[in-house]
Amino acid sequence: MKVTRKSADTCILRTEGLTKRFGSLIANKEIDLEIKPGSIHAILGENGAGKSTLMKMLYGVYEPDGGKIYMDGEVVSLHPPIKAKAKGIGMVFQDFRLIPAMTVLDNIALAVSDGGWRLKRKQLRERILKVSAKYGLSVDPDAYVWQLDLGERQRLEIVKVLLVPGTRIIIFDEPTSVLVPQEVESFLRMLDLLRKDGYGIVLITHKINEVLACADQVTVLRSGQITFRATREEGLEEEALIAAMMGAGTLKPVVKHAGDAKEERQTVLRIERGTIIGNHGETVLKDIELSLKQGEITGVAGISGSGQRELAETLFGLRGLSSGRLTIDGKEMTADTKSFMDAGVSFVSEDPLRESVIPGFTILEHMVLDGIPMKPKRAGIDWPYVRRLLENSEEARALALADADRRADQLSGGNVQRMVLARALIRQPKILIISYPSRGLDIGTTHTIQQQLVTLAERGTAVLLFSEDLDELFKLSDRLIVLSGKRLLGPYRPSETNAAEIGFRMLKGESA
Amino acid sequence: MNLQADNIALHGRTFLVGDKIKPLCLQACVLLIPFVIFGVFLLFYGVNPVQLYISMVRSTFGDLYGFGEVLLKTTPILLTGLAAALPARAGLINVGGEGQLAIGALFSTWCAVFYLERFPSWAGIPLMLAAGALGGAVWAGITAFLKIKGKLNETITSLLLNYVATFTVGLFVHGLLKDPKSFNWPFSPEIAPALRLPVVDGTRLHAGIAIALALVLVVWFILYKTRIGFRIRVLGSNYLAAERAGFKVNKMYFWVLIAAGALAGIAGMIEIAGIEGRLRPTTGVNYGYLGFLAAWMAWNHPLRLAVSAFVLGMISVAGNSLEIGSGLPSSSVYILMALVLFFMLGSGRRLKR
Repeated sequence: MKVTRKSADTCILRTEGLTKRFGSLIANKEIDLEIKPGSIHAILGENGAGKSTLMKMLYGVYEPDGGKIYMDGEVVSLHPPIKAKAKGIGMVFQDFRLIPAMTVLDNIALAVSDGGWRLKRKQLRERILKVSAKYGLSVDPDAYVWQLDLGERQRLEIVKVLLVPGTRIIIFDEPTSVLVPQEVESFLRMLDLLRKDGYGIVLITHKINEVLACADQVTVLRSGQITFRATREEGLEEEALIAAMMGAGTLKPVVKHAGDAKEERQTVLRIERGTIIGNHGETVLKDIELSLKQGEITGVAGISGSGQRELAETLFGLRGLSSGRLTIDGKEMTADTKSFMDAGVSFVSEDPLRESVIPGFTILEHMVLDGIPMKPKRAGIDWPYVRRLLENSEEARALALADADRRADQLSGGNVQRMVLARALIRQPKILIISYPSRGLDIGTTHTIQQQLVTLAERGTAVLLFSEDLDELFKLSDRLIVLSGKRLLGPYRPSETNAAEIGFRMLKGESA
Repeated sequence: MNLQADNIALHGRTFLVGDKIKPLCLQACVLLIPFVIFGVFLLFYGVNPVQLYISMVRSTFGDLYGFGEVLLKTTPILLTGLAAALPARAGLINVGGEGQLAIGALFSTWCAVFYLERFPSWAGIPLMLAAGALGGAVWAGITAFLKIKGKLNETITSLLLNYVATFTVGLFVHGLLKDPKSFNWPFSPEIAPALRLPVVDGTRLHAGIAIALALVLVVWFILYKTRIGFRIRVLGSNYLAAERAGFKVNKMYFWVLIAAGALAGIAGMIEIAGIEGRLRPTTGVNYGYLGFLAAWMAWNHPLRLAVSAFVLGMISVAGNSLEIGSGLPSSSVYILMALVLFFMLGSGRRLKR
């Protein structure tokens, strides 16, 4: 399993002129890449830059259209993935390939087979415990996967890859997007251990901080081509990396005017002693107090699965409070989405692909659902009117929304996100409940969206922002709340706390 | 990942023609293969399938009478087909066309026998039609109620209620609605001649087909040209999105099922007023399932349904010539229909995208 130090200068894997086309579009153009043992190679790039395509070629999901892949100096073919796996390439996916109804042990057993007929659980358990102790990847082999939070699931994925015999290269696809700050630190420590043991590590990310913290070598992709390449010895500079990722266009920082702290803003939405029950009848949040104020962005931090989804659904009338009161402008609300919409609430769900995209319908048709009013024209809908409104909307333009006639189910995740955001913004809602607006988006779009949220708040909208990115929460929020252990903590002023404190509360709650 | 998806979308726009032809070919195959397999089955029984298929087409288009017979079979299939297709567009599976038709027939016969005896045609027929629609709607209403209040799956309840409907009709024709002059045969008294639908000379074909086709157009118009239809299709494609757009999902489910029941109920009325003239335990038997099959064959599109219902009508009539010509029971065409459904279901997933 270990690679000897002696071979450290020679690469395990090298690509030469790797090219991949989809129809007329070139997703990867002549990519040269080296993966060395005992070294972390970061691949930086915006969404759509071609990182994922490149990784999928290395993991054998796609067959390259041009170029060669060498392993230990010989040309190899890695397609399909089973070949890549046999050659020692492991991948830790962003969306984990786990089976929730099975235990950790059984999930690993599925991936790690020694070819025998019998499932040697006892042996496997020992191996799991050994590996997880070595790299600080604590996982309980007997826990069911549905009981695990996202951080634990990721550790399980990593253990799975490490246990496959012969693994030499580990590809991580946006690994830190699901982790809280404390977990990120231990993740980086683990990467360091893996590096010391001689693994070749490929880290796909769009977070420059992490690259600066750990990478030995960086390759930046833009529009499918390499725009920048450097090693740690040559020096890695933040500005150079950003410039290489973004191209000529530079980013204006998100402008946020400091709110008048003196002037007490009007509360538009309030939950008093609210208790929320989850889908399985379990209490998700207990006795919470929450008030959203006009013109304020309230950020919600929390480890995923701490009740974010349930809280967001409650605030849009999709789920009722099991006890307590929810009022908008002093009027008590019952769980009925229509009345929430009429009261001026707009909602961007955390999973728009599943919850907002209607297969077979165009972007234009999506707009009349909680966005542009469904203007009647005889028995039907006045589509030309809707189209005019959409084309004239500055929000849609700022977000670079795709063509109105494109089918939404054929859009990329990023474009779907743009569509649901544009829809929510066009409505100029009084209250906006928005979950993970920048998930899966590149820096440029993230900036645009953040700016739009700030502008919306300045115009008087009360925004409740769920995010897993603490930087984003600190940058945008007027107040921060934390969901942890069935409680809602806070609000805190971002200026009076810091990421470490918030991260601590996310993990341990208030008292600890 | 993003790139790939973007690119597929791009692909779809650039090569629109190619992308459309492939599913069409697949559709054609799906419709043809069952005929081939059934042909093999026929060969085993010494029947020449080519001859049979030719005679099937000839008996349909050969003379007015044959064509009329096919249209007669097509009419109820169209309506029960709509009763399956309309809910399917809203994301519901209504297998209850059979029972809704039977209760529609029961209601309309009841009204015709007890209240509309002396009514003139222009008033009696529409009232009888309304009674049939009401009967189907009431029956579908049970399913709708169970769906919304009891969270029971509409597929199961509508299917099970078919049996209840059959026995309910049986109860009436053996009891309250039994013809006193029938010498104990289980059927209702004959309805007044004024309540019978007008018939085309030289055939048994009645005005029911016009009613059915009109309703096909109405359902198509509502689904594709109106706001409520837009909402129904949104609901059917993604009910989570519909919920998040503030639709009253349960209310929509309820009324769509009621409308479906009414459509099937009208089929029941047409069977009584058009052909049978009286209610029997066997009135309209199997049309509910044939309609369901027709809806599936048409991918739940009302206009395509007109074609698939006609094809099923043809196959049904062909059963008769099969029996006369080859000695195989006429019900052997159900094998063909089952094969069609089997292939439709198998290909459904693939073609959905």
